[in-house]
Amino acid sequence: MKRVQLEIVLGTIFVLLSAAIVIILGIREPQRLADYVLQQRGRQIEFGAAVFQNNCTECHGSQGQGITGIAPSLRDEHFFTERLDEIGWGSTLEDYIVSVVTTGRQVSTRPQYVGGGTPAMPTWSERFGGPLRDDQIRAVAAFIMNFEQYALGQLPTPVPIGPIVDESTPEGRGQALFTQAGCVACHTIQGISTATVGPALDGLANRAGSIVSGMSAEEYIHESIVDPNAHIVSGYSPDVMPQNFAEILTEEQINDLVAFLMDRTQ
Amino acid sequence: MTFINNILKRLNYTQLPPRGEWKAFIFKLIDERVRIITAGLNLRELRAIMRGDPPTEKPNPRYKVITTSFVAHLRPRYYPQAATWFTHTFRLGFFVTFFFVVEVITGIVLMAYYVPYPDQAYGSVLAIESNVFFGELMRDIHRLGAEAMVAFSWLHLLRTYFTGSYKGPRSFTWLTGVILLAITAWLSFTGYLLPWDQLSYWAVTVGTSITESGPIVGPTLNLVMRGAPDIGAGGLLRFYLQHVILFPLLAILFISIHYYKVSREHSISLPAVVEELELPPDKKKEYNRRIDLIPDLLSHEIFLIALGTFVMLVILYFRLFHSPLETHANPQNTPLDTKAPWYFWWLQGILKIDPANILENLLNPILQPLLGLFGIEFTLELSKLLDSKFIMGLIVPPVLVVILAFLPYIDKNPSRLSSKRPFAIAWGISWIFIMLALSYMGLPEYGIETPAATRVIQDLAPEEGEGPLREIPYAELEHAHGVYTVGEDYGRDLCPGLAYQPDHDKPDEVVIGCPHLTAVFNQFSERLRVAEEDGRLPDLVARIVVEQFQPGMVRVTPQVEWSDPETGEAKAYEHTYFLHENRVLGSH
Repeated sequence: MKRVQLEIVLGTIFVLLSAAIVIILGIREPQRLADYVLQQRGRQIEFGAAVFQNNCTECHGSQGQGITGIAPSLRDEHFFTERLDEIGWGSTLEDYIVSVVTTGRQVSTRPQYVGGGTPAMPTWSERFGGPLRDDQIRAVAAFIMNFEQYALGQLPTPVPIGPIVDESTPEGRGQALFTQAGCVACHTIQGISTATVGPALDGLANRAGSIVSGMSAEEYIHESIVDPNAHIVSGYSPDVMPQNFAEILTEEQINDLVAFLMDRTQ
Repeated sequence: MTFINNILKRLNYTQLPPRGEWKAFIFKLIDERVRIITAGLNLRELRAIMRGDPPTEKPNPRYKVITTSFVAHLRPRYYPQAATWFTHTFRLGFFVTFFFVVEVITGIVLMAYYVPYPDQAYGSVLAIESNVFFGELMRDIHRLGAEAMVAFSWLHLLRTYFTGSYKGPRSFTWLTGVILLAITAWLSFTGYLLPWDQLSYWAVTVGTSITESGPIVGPTLNLVMRGAPDIGAGGLLRFYLQHVILFPLLAILFISIHYYKVSREHSISLPAVVEELELPPDKKKEYNRRIDLIPDLLSHEIFLIALGTFVMLVILYFRLFHSPLETHANPQNTPLDTKAPWYFWWLQGILKIDPANILENLLNPILQPLLGLFGIEFTLELSKLLDSKFIMGLIVPPVLVVILAFLPYIDKNPSRLSSKRPFAIAWGISWIFIMLALSYMGLPEYGIETPAATRVIQDLAPEEGEGPLREIPYAELEHAHGVYTVGEDYGRDLCPGLAYQPDHDKPDEVVIGCPHLTAVFNQFSERLRVAEEDGRLPDLVARIVVEQFQPGMVRVTPQVEWSDPETGEAKAYEHTYFLHENRVLGSH
């Protein structure tokens, strides 16, 4: 066989095989597209979880469960079944979440949270001076929507392991409480929170004893938790910190918190 | 009848043929049209071409095509037989052109869907992959073709160098070739930014920042390229326009010049052994025998096109190549390992060389004792005088390119035989090794120190891409909730009670335990233990926490705590990974 003839034969075979590959890929294509959409949704939820963890947990809790007195739960039945009617929203819940996160709220719709409704949900979209891109906000909404089966009780809610702290000591329990009770939302503690709504609490143990004369450091911290307005650090306003920690927390829990804060001497 | 006569009149026939001559008449009619369409070939000639017969008329009508047709006039009439040896050219230049055409075709398809705006670019690429029939295939072919085009350009350059084909009359062809190499690299680089993911954003940010160190015009040039101090909407649009208009046009222009020189002026070079050695007359005659464009070269090229297309499709069918798409570009978050595209690793490697430091280390041990004899204490400090980014980024690479471009005017050796140019051959081979070494130095693994704990976790689950931790099947993770502590759980199967089916279509296949998770945990333990033993992570406490976070999604958190080896301060590093069950579906 001459080279030209060999090339014609091989070339024809290549063309036929190429056509076969394209046909096979074409047959698989609708399934691939469908899979890709699902996969993309999965990755969007993952991405949303990471964005949520970095931006939303300080007020809405590490698992979106809400923090009493600060911000509502995003995973309870009420949120998934009644919230849209309550607010009079005509579109989907996911769009509602996107809308609220994007623009934030000028006035809280539920003044039972955060000092009578201000500050309410801040704006998050870059378009209005916030830190997030639109695709990040969409991802957060996808992530919150994924709580639906837990919220409606279709799946049992697992017990989160949470931050690993030594629960056998008062300091360890106090550290866990610091997150669970929502202190992280407003107070800076190195390695735990960077919020600046309230005073930073690192090294409080060193100065607490000398703020109000006649009061030990422990007494001062204890009083500041159960009756925040008793002494307001200069530069901060009264009535911002929730007044009801004495009702929410047991005496033992408050003492754990005090122990934890007394332990942060740096 | 008047109607038919009118048509015939238009075709320059005034009357119908007599009965019995109709067949010949129609044949003639068709034949003339065919001759017009093929620019000179009639039906008999076409048949002779197909059958491999010699030309049917004189002068050879197959050459006439080349003088009359615009497209064919770009082509040579023939090449000497020896110039078409496969081992002489390896068809590298042909394949570069082939890939360029592939890029143009797939690029036009992609342009129909792509939006060159930061808010939407990434989403439009996702839409191409998830919502366009064959969209992923088009993008993969475009990416594969781009990388192949760069690779084949380099190989083509090497071939031309080692066969000495740049010499004599082909000097200018070589110069246009080097320009084309630069155009190809720039086309590839501008396309790199368009998906607007972390990979592209940071590769281009790092790349354009090189110009910033230039004197006087440097910052302005950087601003012109980026469209703003940072790459944003303006920069993306500028790169897009360069990618789809400016540089394709330049490429077409220079390919035309380059190819015209080869095809119509100097032909492909003969192998040096044929050109320069005394050969017996019959061999010489055979080697110079004409291989005509029609049919031999053309049929060979069609064969190569079929081969190239087939190979690309096979590569994509078996997923040996897949165009990457990382997470959305984030100007606030520099990824730990930024990596340029592989054909720029050498440049990244050059940038890691600090000439001031090298000179200081070389000269100071000599200078200091010398000056010490005269009682002068002196330490040479060049780092303030020599800006390494400027020298290694803006001076050295352009100088290298200029040397490359003017090689034919530097290399005065008239012979093309490799035995008569040993220095040039050795020089070429050493540059291959220099480029490979520089490319290796360009990798993020080289010369960049990352804290031990961060490195271990980053290697298990890199910020971008997958890595062993993310490749743990969800079926293992959803039943493996718990805290696995380094030093306590090492070596055992972490979930002894578990059995799952990795593939629902194969019910016979069952995996016992969680081998993937166990392997990742063991690797985590071993690497941390090594770091603890050599003193980088004293008082090590480390664990991996696996917990169900949402329906269909787990959270995996590797945590490391240690004391700083110098200050004794307590340190901790952890990273959370959310893994959804649908993250890997189908062929992804």
